[in-house]
Amino acid sequence: MIQETITISNKLGLHARASAKLTKLAGGFTCDVWMTRNERRINAKSIMGVMMLAAGMGATVEIETDGVDEREAMDGLLALINDKFGEGE
Amino acid sequence: MSFSVHGQAVSRGVVIGRAVVMASSRMDVAHYFIEPEDIGKELRRMANARDAVVTEIELVQRSLTDLPASDAPAELTALLDVHLMLLQDQTLAKGVSDWIVDRHYNAEWALTAQLEVLGRQFDEMEDPYLRERKADLEQVIERMLVVLGGEGVSVFERVPKATIGRSHDRGDLPPALEKALGPDEAAPLILVARDLSPSDLLQFKQSVFAGFVTDVGGKTSHTAIVARGLDIPAVVGARSASQLVKQDDWVIIDGDAGVVLVDPSSALIEEYVFKQREGTLERERLTRLRHTPAVTLDGEAVQLMANIEQPADTDAAIEAGAVGVGLFRSEFLFMGRTGKGQSQLPDEEEQFLAYKAAVEGMHGMPVTIRTIDIGADKPLDRQARGGADDHLNPALGLRAIRWCLAEPAMFVVQLRAILRAAAFGQIDLLIPMLAHVSEIKQTLQLIDRARAQLDAEGQVYGRVRLGAMIEVPAAAMMTNIFLKYFDFLSIGTNDLIQYTLAIDRVDESVSHLYDPWHPAILGLLSQVIKGATAQGKHVSVCGEMAGDVQFTALLLGLGLRNFSMHPTQIPAVKRQILRSNAAQLSAWSEQVLSSDDPHSVPPP
Repeated sequence: MIQETITISNKLGLHARASAKLTKLAGGFTCDVWMTRNERRINAKSIMGVMMLAAGMGATVEIETDGVDEREAMDGLLALINDKFGEGE
Repeated sequence: MSFSVHGQAVSRGVVIGRAVVMASSRMDVAHYFIEPEDIGKELRRMANARDAVVTEIELVQRSLTDLPASDAPAELTALLDVHLMLLQDQTLAKGVSDWIVDRHYNAEWALTAQLEVLGRQFDEMEDPYLRERKADLEQVIERMLVVLGGEGVSVFERVPKATIGRSHDRGDLPPALEKALGPDEAAPLILVARDLSPSDLLQFKQSVFAGFVTDVGGKTSHTAIVARGLDIPAVVGARSASQLVKQDDWVIIDGDAGVVLVDPSSALIEEYVFKQREGTLERERLTRLRHTPAVTLDGEAVQLMANIEQPADTDAAIEAGAVGVGLFRSEFLFMGRTGKGQSQLPDEEEQFLAYKAAVEGMHGMPVTIRTIDIGADKPLDRQARGGADDHLNPALGLRAIRWCLAEPAMFVVQLRAILRAAAFGQIDLLIPMLAHVSEIKQTLQLIDRARAQLDAEGQVYGRVRLGAMIEVPAAAMMTNIFLKYFDFLSIGTNDLIQYTLAIDRVDESVSHLYDPWHPAILGLLSQVIKGATAQGKHVSVCGEMAGDVQFTALLLGLGLRNFSMHPTQIPAVKRQILRSNAAQLSAWSEQVLSSDDPHSVPPP
C-alpha cells in the first residue's frame, strides 16, 4: 500500500469536471484507490464520493493506493492533480 | 397584481412575454411503502429508470457532436459526462437502494430521501462553487423521477400544447406590447421552472422560449454559464418564482438587474419595450465602432489599449479594437504554480516565449509589460503558504519592485526575457510600485546588467521604452523626478486610491471610503498627467477608472490621452470619447478640481 499527501491547486478545486477526470483515471486501475480529507475516507472510483470530499483550492487530501498497480495509480493521480486537471489555472 | 422577484443577474438583456410555468417534478413525488416481496421489482424499476436517463443523455451527447461548435458549449458536453457518471455511480446507487431494501420505500421516495441526505452535505460545503454542484445531482435525480412517473422526455415536450397555442391568441395582449410586435408575431414565451437540466438548455435555442427564470442556481451554476454562452436573457436563483408566477402571467425578465417583473403595468411594459430596443441598438452600434479611431469631436486623438493577463488575451484585445497592450500583468505567469512536478517560477525561456507570443499577437502594436507585481490581492503561492510572509497588510509590505530588488537573480531573469522578446516588436517595460530614487537607480542598474549579460552571450535583444507605475502617492508627488529617468508613466488608480486614502481594499468595513472622486485623488491625477504632458512624455491610466465610462469625461478633461482597460470595456469608452469635446471638458475639469465636492459639479 502507498500513501501520499497532496494539495489541490487548481482554482476551482475538485469540482464536477475535475472529479470526473479523477474518478475515470482511478477507475482504470485494478488496485483500490482511497482518498481522505478531514477524516472522511472515500472510494476515489466513485464520482459521488470524490465530490463529497468538498476539496476546494488549497485543500490537503491523502491518497491511498493498494493493489498490483498501486505505483502507477499513485503516479497518475499525483500527476493529474499537479497538472491542475489540465485546466491551466 | 404586479410584483417582482429578485434573483441573480447572470445573462444580459430584456425579454417581455407570457409565462409558461413548469411545475417541479419533485413536489408531486409519490410516497408509499412497498411489500417486502416487491423489493426486487422496485430495484428493477429503479435500474430501468436509470438506463432510460442514461440513453437519453447519450442521445443528447450524440446530437451535440453534429452541432456546429458555437451552438454546443463545451461546458455542456462536460456536464453531460458528469451526469452520466453520477447515474452510474456505485456509491449513489447503493445509498438509494438501501432505502428500498431496508426501509421498503418506493423508488421515487428512495431517490428523494437520498437526495435530501446528500443535498445537506453539499449545503454544508464552504466552497460556493463546490456547493452549487448539488444542482447536478438534483437534475440527475429529477430526470429519473420524471421517467419513473412516465412523463415525457424533455421539459419542452411537457409544455401543455394549449399554452403554446395561446401564444398566437393576441386577444389579451397588453397594448404596449402589441405595438412592439409585428402584425403576425406572437408574444414571446418565458419559461419559469425550478431548474433546467443541461439537455433542456441545449434545446433552448431551437425552442419556443425567449428567456427563462429558475428558482435555483448561482452565478457559476451551469444554467448561468450556458445562458451567457447562448446569449439568452435569464434570471436564476429567483427562489420561489416557479410557485409565485402563474401560468400565462405577463412577465418581464430584466437580465441586467436580475429581476423578474410579474403582471407589469402598461407603463412599465412601455418602458421595457424601449429598453429592449435600446439594448439591441446599443450592441449593434458598439460592434460597429471597432475600427473607428477614438477621436474627440474637436479632433483630439486618444489611444485605447488593453489590459491583459496571458499572451492569448491579445486575441480579445484585437477583437475589441485596442491599439496596443497598455498593461500585461506578467505576474499571472508566476501564479498558481505550486505543484510537485512543476518548478516554482517560470524560467527565462518560458517567460521569453510568453512575452514573444504577446508581442506577435498584437501584430506590431506596442505591448507594455509590467514586471512582476505580486501583492496583497494576488499573492504568489509561495508567499501565500504563510510563515514569515503572513503580513496583516501585505499591500504595504515586500511586494512588486521591492520584492524584485530583494531577489535580483529572479528579477534579472524576467528582464532578460523581456529584452529578448523586444527583438520581435515594440515592448514598453513598466516597473510597478516605485517610490524612492534609490529604487529607480537600482532598477536601472539591473536592466543594464541584464543587457550586459545578453551582450556577453551574444544574444539578440531589442530596444524597450522604460516606464514607471505611479501608484504610491510619493511617486505622484515627485512626477518631475520620475520623468528624468523614464520615457513614460502609467497611473495605477486602484493602488493610488488605496494608498492615498489609507483604505485596505480587501477590508469591507472601510470599502465605503474608497472614493475615486476624492479631491486628493483628482489633484494627484491632474498633477501627474500635466507634468508628463508638459515634457512631451506619454502618460496612461491603467486602473479601473480608465475602463469605467463615468470617469471618461473627467480623465479626458484632465488631459489624459492614453487609456488602458479590459478589452470588453473599450467599445463603450470609445463611444464616450467620440461624443466628447476635449476643450470643453478641460475647462470643466478645472471647476471639478477646485470643488470641495467634485462629484457634484454638473457635467458640461
